[in-house]
Parts: sequence; structure tokens; C-alpha cells
Amino acid sequence: MKKLIFFLITLCFALVSCTKEKTDYEAEIDTVVTDHFEFKEAVAFNTEGYNISIEALNGTFYKGYNEIRLKITNIQTNEDADASVVTFLPITVNAVGNKVSCPHLHELAYQPDENYFSGYAVFTSESNIDSIWELYISFRISNQAYKVKQIITVQEQTNKNLNMTSFTGNDDEQYFITLVSPQKPKIAENVLVAGIYRFNQPTNPPSGDFPDPSQFSYTEVSDYTLQLDPRMPEPSMGNHSSPNNKDLIQQSNGLYYGVVNYTMTGNWTLNFIMLNQRGQILKGTVVPTDFTPGVEGIKSELHIDILF
Amino acid sequence: MKKLGIIFGTLFLGINANAQNMQAQHDTTQRIEEVKIIAIAKKKIESEMKMTVSVDEFLASSDKISFIKRGAYAWEPLLNNMSTERSTITIDGMHVFGACTDKMDPITSYVESNNLATIDIKSGQEGSLHGATVAGSIDLKRKSTPFGLERIWSGAYQTGFETNNKQFFNLGNLSYSSDQFVVDGSISFRKAGNYYDGNNDEVNHSQYSKFNTSLGLAYKTSPLSSVRIDAIYDRAKDVGFPALPMDLWLSRAIITSASYKQLFKKGLVKVWDTKLYFNAIEHYMDDTKRPENLVHMDMPGWSNTYGLVSRANLKHGNYSSEIQLNVYDNLSIAEMTMYPQDRSKKTMFAYSWPWVTTRFAGASINNSWDFSEMSQVNFGGSLGWNYNRSKYVEFNWIFYPGTPQEKNRVLPALYTNYQLHINQFNFSVGTGYGHRAPSASEGYGYYIYNSFDRYDYIGNPDLKNEISYEANASAGFKNEKMGIEAKVNYFHIQNYIVGRILSLGSPMNYQSVGVKGYTSLNHAKLFNATLNGNYDVLQHLHWKGTLMYARATDDDGGNLPFIRPLSYHTSLHFMHRKFNFQTSMNGDFAHKNYSPEYGETLSRAYRIWNISVDYTFKFKNYRATLQIGAENLFNAYYSTYADWGNIPRMGRNIFTSLKFDF
Repeated sequence: MKKLIFFLITLCFALVSCTKEKTDYEAEIDTVVTDHFEFKEAVAFNTEGYNISIEALNGTFYKGYNEIRLKITNIQTNEDADASVVTFLPITVNAVGNKVSCPHLHELAYQPDENYFSGYAVFTSESNIDSIWELYISFRISNQAYKVKQIITVQEQTNKNLNMTSFTGNDDEQYFITLVSPQKPKIAENVLVAGIYRFNQPTNPPSGDFPDPSQFSYTEVSDYTLQLDPRMPEPSMGNHSSPNNKDLIQQSNGLYYGVVNYTMTGNWTLNFIMLNQRGQILKGTVVPTDFTPGVEGIKSELHIDILF
Repeated sequence: MKKLGIIFGTLFLGINANAQNMQAQHDTTQRIEEVKIIAIAKKKIESEMKMTVSVDEFLASSDKISFIKRGAYAWEPLLNNMSTERSTITIDGMHVFGACTDKMDPITSYVESNNLATIDIKSGQEGSLHGATVAGSIDLKRKSTPFGLERIWSGAYQTGFETNNKQFFNLGNLSYSSDQFVVDGSISFRKAGNYYDGNNDEVNHSQYSKFNTSLGLAYKTSPLSSVRIDAIYDRAKDVGFPALPMDLWLSRAIITSASYKQLFKKGLVKVWDTKLYFNAIEHYMDDTKRPENLVHMDMPGWSNTYGLVSRANLKHGNYSSEIQLNVYDNLSIAEMTMYPQDRSKKTMFAYSWPWVTTRFAGASINNSWDFSEMSQVNFGGSLGWNYNRSKYVEFNWIFYPGTPQEKNRVLPALYTNYQLHINQFNFSVGTGYGHRAPSASEGYGYYIYNSFDRYDYIGNPDLKNEISYEANASAGFKNEKMGIEAKVNYFHIQNYIVGRILSLGSPMNYQSVGVKGYTSLNHAKLFNATLNGNYDVLQHLHWKGTLMYARATDDDGGNLPFIRPLSYHTSLHFMHRKFNFQTSMNGDFAHKNYSPEYGETLSRAYRIWNISVDYTFKFKNYRATLQIGAENLFNAYYSTYADWGNIPRMGRNIFTSLKFDF
């Protein structure tokens, strides 16, 4: 009797174990995308007795949006230097040999609590033999101006959720849209954060020592609207979309916030239409909303592909 | 015929309550014996046409049950024309929940006729003993051999072949009974190929194979107490669902329980029976055999339930009562992983049940009071607590932003019924009130593709309880030669849950045309009526007939789907020596009140004719019965109102079977 019961219990356990393993949903999302929370030193260099350290997420500059934190320390005293008017200017050489920059915050903002200067850069390409990125940094300490130049490495952004795009709008201005968040989307409502930048066409010829910041000026555009229509482009998904998405509008920190719902993992296209303050379309086309199984989804002329 | 009378009597009149009373009366023998009626019921799982039937075929012989059929296997039983969410389907009071989001695995598909003793069907709130319900309850009662039978070993073996779909089956069961120890075991195999419709066309993807085995061990711990452990293992493999865009690769269920039973010689409480149970179900679909599918999708589902059911039977004079405590916890998980044509690309993943937990705890009571020789009153009710939690609630937030992750509901139920017997006439009237909570799919389902109306369904966690107000009545006359009985019931259901087209979102599944969300109608009304008659034409020639009618409308007066049109069933049974001849005819009238909104089209009237003959002989201690018969004798081509996707039903099917009893 006892043996039999023991046998039965063993049998039960053997049978209860599943035939197919359940999908580890959390791991499923993790494998494709790792999110980076930690600021680490991406580059450090010395000039005239001062050490300049620039931190970025994961200690790496990526193509696309990079939040940066810059610290200046006195090498001798190993204390934070009392620097002011810290400027930051990334420069690269484009395909036709011109020196160009990318959207960035030129004069970094001092964060007294943490004692660093914060800013951002939206690198438009990865570093390679033909395209080297250099940072031009200047600051003042005790009324003395310092200038320094440093080559950095910009790496490919493998996380497609932080993709970017650049284009010329109907107003002939050059625009950049970069995804800032979510790094790791969920099958859920995700707050979608993007930066929208415009290149300010220089009105005067360059003057002074290179680089003349007025030639490389970018601004966060204000009070634009980025209309959003997320869809799955795979033919088998038939132009599938999701409900309850919200267009992106600007918040006080200059970035644009909206809501995107992803209904499942996979490839998604964020179809955008960008409107200026007056509601005029600067870029983007309305995409079909029909469910068309077997046909690859038509994308807006302004879109960013993501994957998770 | 008498036997049939008992079958139908037990099934439809809800004599089960009385059965419990009988059990109490047997206590005086100071032996633990299962109720006599269950011993008799051993031979009950057969229909009047066929002696070896599947559970589905057996259920189909009840006039309260209709079926949604997606193929030849695993039919979804509708009780009082209401879908399975509205009824509680239990195995010996144990809750089991299917693991398939597309309802390809109703609980009835996880048992086999040779491990069941009987099926107890109760209509409406009278079925609230096992938990909150609207439509009623279906309790599949397993075989349970009494202690100390004269015959220590008993058993049966059945085998047979059906020509239409080349179904071959072998069913065996064996019982051992001593004064201390009882063993019940059963094993069954069924395998069938594709069936052919009335035009002799093969219905592709309608094959199935099923293996089922069960074992029960009971040990008498004292003259008045016993323990019992039971297990059922069921495996279905390679099951085609012609009406769906996918088939079943494998489904497995392990259903286990351990119970303790105590009888009392004196006092109010006569029996106390407590059972702990656990069951695990896994269900894996397979769409690789359907070339029409553009996208390959894996859709595994799992459902694990553990629970407790504890019951006490009380009796005092002509008052008897049954009190039951039900507690269970279920976790339902269903996934979908889509593979793009370019398999090297990333797959697409989502949960269709995002780890939905359902917990229920409730106490129920059934009372019966024979306050005069002519009249009896039954009344009872239940009070339950239902808790739901969605682990990955972010899936639900896509359509219902900010909806809470957990939800508690209180589910009350009440009913009363008065029965009057005057000479050969009997009458009853009753009323009921009850709530039910939305099912896992209705509450938390996510893009569940319904191939009938071709919509993707989204659950709504904020749905209100469905509230049923019910009235029922019956009148009958019976004498030695004939009987006639009319029964009606009417349900007014508030917050009736249906799928309504959502203006939001777009379909995810390749075949679907849109998205529907489960929403509550203000109310819906359902009416069911049946008329049964029987007449003994000669001593050995008996006639029986049933006429059924149902009508259901939503708050706009529109038709609800899957409501049986006017239908009939009539049969003749003739006995001659050791031969039995049966013939029956059944059919539906045209389904005029169909619901285009839910994807229904007009189903035309049909009539099918069945015939069978069997011969019983004895040798030594064995009793053998040989049966041959034909279903749909004239090979009618038809499809009923409840055939998913209007797939045609089986054409002429000649069946043979042989049964040994000892």
C-alpha cells in the first residue's frame, strides 16, 4: 500500500512536469535589450593641470541620444575645479569632407547638487576611419579660459529602441529626431520620449578660431507636435497597430513625451508626422490603417523602426 | 426502458439531492457503501442508441445540453444554451479549467466514459453547490466501487469500430473490492481518422487520438471512515479541428485528489467528506499542418488548479441538507509566439492569458424539506469570494489603462423550488438569483482569436458581475403506460457579457478582421422549454419523444448566438428475447433567429435517422453485448446552428461494438 502510494506520487510529479517550457517573458525582453542606468566614465583627458571626465550611460558614446555629465578636477589637489561657462561641441567630417556637428547642448548646465555639468549630444554617425568625432571643450576657471580638443569613439547603438533619424523638413530646415526612452519597452503602455532638434543655418560666415559655435548651432524645437502611429511592418502582421497611443508633446525639460503601446514583442515602426507650432506638417505622411494581412505595412516618410 | 427512465430521471430531475439522502439512510448498515444509485449508475454512461459512447455523445443525449462543435472531438457543452463560462463544470466537485484560450479543451474532454459513473446536470442556481454559476452545473461523477461487494473483482471491456472515421476504441475497467480496500482502474484508447460528410467528402483535419487512464484507491480506516486517492491521466494527441485554423498537437491532464470520508451513526450530520485536489493541464496547438496560415504561431497554454471541497450531509426527520465548502486557486497561462516568414528574424511574443490567477472560496447549502406527503420545498444558496490577479497587468493596460491588477468580487446565489405531487401529476415552480465572475478570457484575455466571427477578443478586467434572475416551472403526468412532462425556464441576465466591436486597436491574428472587447450588455433574456413524452405502445415497444425550444435576445431585441432552434428527438425501442432494436430520429428546424452580428448564418433544417440493434448473451460469469447500428442512416448532409464555421457533420456512420461485463 505504502509503496503503491509512493509510486503514485512519484508518477504524479513525473506527469505534472510540463512538456514544453513556458516562455520566460522577462528574459525574453532582456535578451534583446539591456537597459543602462549607470553613468560611467566614457572619456577622460587632461589639460593644463585639469582633468576632464565625461560620463555617459554605460561609459559609452552611442550613435543617437547621449546624456552626458562632465566633471573638471584639479589634478594637483584632486578637488573639483570651480569651473564656469563650460561649452561642449562635437565635430566630425561628413561624407563630402565638410566639418559638421550634431545636435548638442552647447553651454552645459551646472548641477550644483552633484557638482557636474550636464548636457547631451545626439551623434549622427558611428566613429570609423572616415568619420572621427572630436569634442571641443572650453571652460573658465578663475577668469582664465581653457580650451581642449579630444577624439572620442562613438559606437553603434544596437538597441533599436534608441534609434534616430534626420531629415529636411518642408521648411527646408534640417531636423533630427532621436528616441530617448524607453530603452527596454514592455508589452504595455510605454512612455515614449524623443528629442527633436533643428540645425540653425548660420547667417554669418565663420569668424575667429575654429570652431565658431555659431556655425554649429542646434536648438531643441519648441511646441512642435509629433503625431504617432505605431505599426508592425511584417507582412504577416497585416499592418497591426495598437490602441491608446498619444502624440508626443514637449515638456519643460525640452524633450517630447507621448505614449506608445506595444501589443507584442517584435518589429515595430513608429510612424510620425511632425507639425510645427502652427500645426503645419513639416514632415510625415498618413499611413493606411487597414488590416492588410500578407502585405508589408506602408511606412510614413518620417518613421523610426524599433525592435524588442 | 426502466433503466433509461432512471437515467433521465436522475439527470434531469435533479434527484441527486435525494440520492444523498439515501446515502444517509444506508448508514444504518454501519458500512461504508457508496450509494446504491451510483452502483446502478455504472451502466449509465450510454445513450439510447449506442452502448459505448464518448462523454460528448452521452452529454448530447440530455435535453439541457447542446454543443458547439469545432470538429469531431472536444465539443463544448452548452447548458441551457449558455456557454461554458456560465456553467460550473466539475469532476466530483473538483474545479478544472481548460488550458486553451480557444475552448478546444472543455473539461469533458479530459475524462472518458469508462471512468465515469454518471453525469449530474443541474439547471440554474440549483447548481450553485459547486460554485457561482448562471446556467447551472455539470458534475462528472467518477466511478467509486463500494467496500465489501460480494463480487471481489468486477470489470468491463469494450471494443468497437466506427466506419465513417475509422474510429477504433478499446476501453477497459477493473475494480477490486474487499472489506478494507478498493481499487478502481480504467484505461482507454481511441483513435479516429478524418470523417466524411453527407456528400462523402472528407472533412480534413478531423482526426483524433485519445488515451485516458484512471486509478482510484480507497482504504477503510475504521468502520465509519475511509480515505481515497484518485488520479486521472488524459492525453490527446494529433487532434484536428476542421473549424479552426489550427489543430491540437498535444493536450495532457493530470487530475488528482485525496479525500477523507466520515460517516456518523447518530446526530444531525450523517456524512462528512473532504477532498484536497490538484490538477494540471497543458495544451499545445499546432498550425503547421495548415498551409493557408501565412504566419506560424505557437500557442501553448497551461492551467493549474488546486483546491479543497468539503461537504457535509445533514438530515433530521423529513428535512435534509447538504453543505459544501469550495476553495480553489487556478493559474491560467497562455502564450502566443509568432514566427515571421523570415525565420531568422525575431519572433513576436505576447501572452493571451498574462498569468491570470483566479481564487475562489465559497460556502453553499442545499436544503430539502418534505413538509407533507405531497409537497417538497428545496431551497439554498451560496456566498462566494472571487479574486483575480493578472501578473503581467501591463497587457491589460493596453486596452484598459490603469485598470487594477487585482480584483475582488462577492458572488451570492439564492434559489428556491417547490414541488407538488398530486396522484399522477407533478408540478414544480422555482426561482433563483445569482452572480458570476467573468472568466479568465472575459476578464484578462488578450487578442484571443475567435475563428467563428473572426475577431480578436480582448478581456476587460473591469467587467461587472453577471447577475441572473431565473424562474422555472414544470408540469408532468405519469402513469404505467405513459408519461408527459413540460419544463420551462427563463433567465433575465443583467450585465450579460458578450464581445462588442472595439473602435480601438487593430487585429493581431492573421485571419482576423477586427478587435472585439468583452463588454456587458445591459441585460439579456433566455428562455428554454422542453416537452418530453413517453408511451409504451406494447409491452416491449416503447416510444419516447422530446421537443425543445429556446429563444434568447439581447437588450436591443437582437438575437444571441448559439441558441438552439426548435428541435426534436423521437425514438422507438423494441425488445425481443435477447435482442434490442432501437431507432431514433432527430433534427432541428431552420435556425431563423440567428445572429449575424456574432458571425452566424442561417442554418437550414435537417433531420437524421439512426438505427441500432444489440444482442446480449451470457456465458459462465460473463455478460456480453454485441451491437451494430448506423447513425445518419440516409447520409444527410447537414450542419447545425452550433457547428463552428458551418463545418458539415458526419455522414452515415456504421458502428459496431462489443462489451463484456463480469
